[in-house]
Amino acid sequence: MPAIQTHELSKRYGDVTAVDRVDLTVEEGEIFGFLGHNGAGKSTVINMLLDFARPTEGQVEVFGMDCREHSVDVRERMGVLPEGYDVYDRLTGRQHLQFAAESKGVEIEPMSIAERVGIRDAVDRRAGDYSKGMAQRLVLGMALIGDPDLLILDEPTSGLDPGGARRMREIIHEENERGATVFFSSHILEQIEAVCDRVGIMHEGRLQAVDTIDALRESAAGGTKLQISVDDPSETHLDTIEAVDGVDSAWIEDETFAVTCPSDVKMDVLVALDAAGVDVLDFSTEEPSLEDLFVEYTREGGQ
Amino acid sequence: MWGSRRTRWLLGAVAFAFIAGGYAIVLSGFPEPSSADYASYMVGVVALLVPLVGLLLGHRTIVGERASGEMTLLLSLPYDRLDVVVGKFLARAIALGTAVAVGILGGAALVNYPFGSFEAGTVAAYTLGTVLYGAAFVGVGLAVSTATTSTAVASSAAFGVFFLFVVVWSQLRGVFVAALGYLGLADGRLPTWALFLYGAEPGMLYRRLVDGFFAGVEQGPYLGPEAPWFLGEWVAAALLVVWALGPATLGYLRFRSTDL
Repeated sequence: MPAIQTHELSKRYGDVTAVDRVDLTVEEGEIFGFLGHNGAGKSTVINMLLDFARPTEGQVEVFGMDCREHSVDVRERMGVLPEGYDVYDRLTGRQHLQFAAESKGVEIEPMSIAERVGIRDAVDRRAGDYSKGMAQRLVLGMALIGDPDLLILDEPTSGLDPGGARRMREIIHEENERGATVFFSSHILEQIEAVCDRVGIMHEGRLQAVDTIDALRESAAGGTKLQISVDDPSETHLDTIEAVDGVDSAWIEDETFAVTCPSDVKMDVLVALDAAGVDVLDFSTEEPSLEDLFVEYTREGGQ
Repeated sequence: MWGSRRTRWLLGAVAFAFIAGGYAIVLSGFPEPSSADYASYMVGVVALLVPLVGLLLGHRTIVGERASGEMTLLLSLPYDRLDVVVGKFLARAIALGTAVAVGILGGAALVNYPFGSFEAGTVAAYTLGTVLYGAAFVGVGLAVSTATTSTAVASSAAFGVFFLFVVVWSQLRGVFVAALGYLGLADGRLPTWALFLYGAEPGMLYRRLVDGFFAGVEQGPYLGPEAPWFLGEWVAAALLVVWALGPATLGYLRFRSTDL
């Protein structure tokens, strides 16, 4: 059973279409990245998962349950780190954690959660005194309570320093190992790249592409780019390279050979050059970055 | 809410008003005031202070947390919106009710000692009526709080309600008579159905309740011998219960059906 499933999901506010016929499936046990610029519609989709906003059209289900009709049951199985939240100023971190535990009907050891997310020393201070990063860690801690089957993290690294962001990624892997599905929404490519199995790219309300990161890279224009330094960069050897099955194109650039081809053809090119008696001095590969890919998928007008 | 200094101050003011009244009633010329005398003596202050505090407690409950993002945190947990509304309404209505009850008990005790008399039944009934009156305005405040996503609009609307019901309503009788007369529906006096509607405002109901049950008033268009039963104090009490629960319910229905 998929953890999240949407069908023709749409949300319109007056004239503005925030989410446009999104069909999304997130399988149980995967770490799914939801990538897109701010305003692309990611948070609106998440709001509909949480029953904060109601779909204009289409369906959205979590573990087979409709997100509006069975809203409380759905949220029982989720841990959420939302966007645009505020903590209760007058309650301490400990009280926040207890409050979350009560809502899930579980007993917790607040200190161990605080330790895990890194707010152990501040857990008895009023949350109103917390910095943004501390509040973010607290709410992450609240989200982990009850070992939820689905973790929904909306811009989870915001407010965190690189150390905090790394800890967040570690926790995500730990939770995923436990069996949780993770739905990670962000506009920051590096964060998504570092954690996620599959990625969905949102742009202007539409789901432009969904695939594994490797597959998305493959399908982006250009594929891998090889840069090969040889002792004798002459045109004749270009033919040798182009003869290799799978090579897209090859040219001479700055006294080196530049070749575009799929990732698994790289070695074939080098072997072919070696067989032709060319001395390969050095080579480097450039994978298309998710950034190039992202830019391509989110060009004005989209694909 | 509890920790807020302003809230504690407001609730303290309510309790204090009742206690001060219990002290002052003797000084103002009641030689041996009964608990019932106390009730009608306090009406003026109560009709001003209790709605004010009720509205102040109620009008920011939902919209404040919605605007600042605490509601987002709260509802990311598996709570139903009904739980949220009921919990907040009860917390505030009980807070105000407790301040009222403590104040009345204190004031009525002062009335009792050393000059007057303390009738437990009367005090209990008076407390209940006043608590309902407070709950009505907490409920109206809550309803206002769910109707908008702007705290500024909520504050203005709450002020508007206060102004309409507490400040202006009692002066509106003449206006109603004139309006109905213009429409050809009355001839200088309000017909009974118009009296019913005019008298269905919470403050009017509360005064009628106090007059009918405690002050022993038995004259006038509502409580007089020829007045129809539905203008009397029992129906007034029932309507006050409707006011205590109705607006909060409407507020919940509104909250349930809108996006956060």
